[in-house]
Amino acid sequence: MAFGNKKVYGGGCMIDAVRLHLQGIKSALAVRMAYRADFFISILIMLIVEAFGPLVTYLVYKNGASLPGWSMYEALLIQGVFMLSRGISFPFFFGMVWNTIQRVQEGTFDLLLIKPRSVLQMIIVTGFDSEDLGKLLGGIVLFSVSLANIPFPGLLLWLKFAALFFVSLVVMFGFGLILSGLGIVWIGNYRVYEIFYSIANFGMYPANIFSKAVVTFITSVIPIAMLGYIPASQLLGRPAEGTLIAVVVSIIFLFASLLFWKAMFRRYNSAGG
Amino acid sequence: MIIKVEDLKKTYKSYERGNTLGEAVKSLFIRKTKLVEAVKGISFSIDKGELVGFLGPNGAGKSTTLKVLTGILFPTSGKVDILGYTPWKDRKKYVAHIGAVFGQKSQLLWDIPPLDAFNLNKAIYSIPDSEFNKRLNFMVELLEVQNIVKKPTRLLSLGERMKCEFIMAMLHNPEIVFLDEPTIGLDVIAKEKIREFILEMNKQGVTFILTTHDLGDIEQLAKRVIVINHGEMIFDDTIEALKSHLGSKKLVSISTQRPLPALEMPGVMVKNKLSEFNAELELDASITELNRFIDYINSSSTIKDMTLQELPIEEVIKKLYTI
Repeated sequence: MAFGNKKVYGGGCMIDAVRLHLQGIKSALAVRMAYRADFFISILIMLIVEAFGPLVTYLVYKNGASLPGWSMYEALLIQGVFMLSRGISFPFFFGMVWNTIQRVQEGTFDLLLIKPRSVLQMIIVTGFDSEDLGKLLGGIVLFSVSLANIPFPGLLLWLKFAALFFVSLVVMFGFGLILSGLGIVWIGNYRVYEIFYSIANFGMYPANIFSKAVVTFITSVIPIAMLGYIPASQLLGRPAEGTLIAVVVSIIFLFASLLFWKAMFRRYNSAGG
Repeated sequence: MIIKVEDLKKTYKSYERGNTLGEAVKSLFIRKTKLVEAVKGISFSIDKGELVGFLGPNGAGKSTTLKVLTGILFPTSGKVDILGYTPWKDRKKYVAHIGAVFGQKSQLLWDIPPLDAFNLNKAIYSIPDSEFNKRLNFMVELLEVQNIVKKPTRLLSLGERMKCEFIMAMLHNPEIVFLDEPTIGLDVIAKEKIREFILEMNKQGVTFILTTHDLGDIEQLAKRVIVINHGEMIFDDTIEALKSHLGSKKLVSISTQRPLPALEMPGVMVKNKLSEFNAELELDASITELNRFIDYINSSSTIKDMTLQELPIEEVIKKLYTI
């Protein structure tokens, strides 16, 4: 074999990045499929856990109580969107969080640094989480069932919804960056997930049930309302107050998280594992 | 010259946590920082096609140096130029040219066959199909792992896995490969195979930098040895020079027909007196010449049998480490 004319691989365009991501998903699925029973049981458990929130909502309405101003299926639609948003982000990029924590703890984070790719791309690619596909499945079911029980939205509402749903993924990405950044310096601490859940859950209810201060916080400080309520209310034709501000804040949130992640990564670079 | 390191320094800040509960609790609030000078200014250069061994006791600064050279860590100060890149500045471009095998950290994926992990690397490095297949087949044959690469990694023996780690690290045709204790925990046969592989790849022009505690690796692979201790470079020369570093010492094992004479003489150190007729000793031939020593023993006790050996490299290293 000739080693004379050396070609250098690595780096590359968008298509290349997508191809890499697909390969990462393929590998991760292969890993999970190695234990088929475990794979299906994990997805099932995930579904049961995820069904808990909507189940409470269902019981509340069945017992005559309600979230003021929202029918049961409207409330469930918000939760469906919330689940859908996580159903896409958790398997496809939010795995960067546990992947970082685990790798930094084991010392295998270094292995990502010797690849000719951005480290962020590497933790996402190697962090695909197939059991979180259960969230996606649950989200699709809940979303479809709720949608079937309300007047079907028109095209314009769908377009607005799609745009805002995309922004919800942007916010999730921001959260992923913050938690992953914490995982770099805060060794072996899976508590970061608890931090995330305890605040993210504000996004699965209509904002008007909260106090004014909370509403301001979840729309214009940390845009948690974007994770479910804002896109869903758009689809329901009852746009939330402060939607535009929330969109702007979401984008700022993304950049701030990116800066935070980079700062944490730099600390790793200069201090080592 | 493809690697040039100048006055490389790395200082860590570490926190003292204490070992009792009380101290640990206290350290939650008040942390004593301690500066650890892991690397205190080392310089060397390496040419294309060299096979250099890095030796040093645990905590000597080998791994830190290796981390800087692979672009994982920023140094505190100093200059590094490898293939025209500064590893920590041009990391992404730079690492496309290098490979690394860590004996203690696996790049394979535990639950799936190595072949799937190779495919992930193919995507990461964007290796074209034809090139990928050519290199894969070549290395699989060389390491004799045709059947192994299709079995789930968790079912492989350590030796089989290590061979696959090498393939993983070299699929993208790196010019320089860093090996961090690549033969740790392997049996003799697996070690042999891996050493053969390294030598073959080296013959094809790949530069290797190897850290190890296995002196067999050093003796069989490295033509040049760099010894690091306490963050400083204390030796940089050929393996032959390393062996003669501590003078022309020989290990002598002797048995005689009549009781041995007194051995308290300059340049002789008795290591093991087995009986009146048998002894193992270390002779420094630069102090007492070999022929004079033999004459002396022979005339007093008549030599029955005698073996002469170079001082084993372990002894040399042990002495270097304790300096």
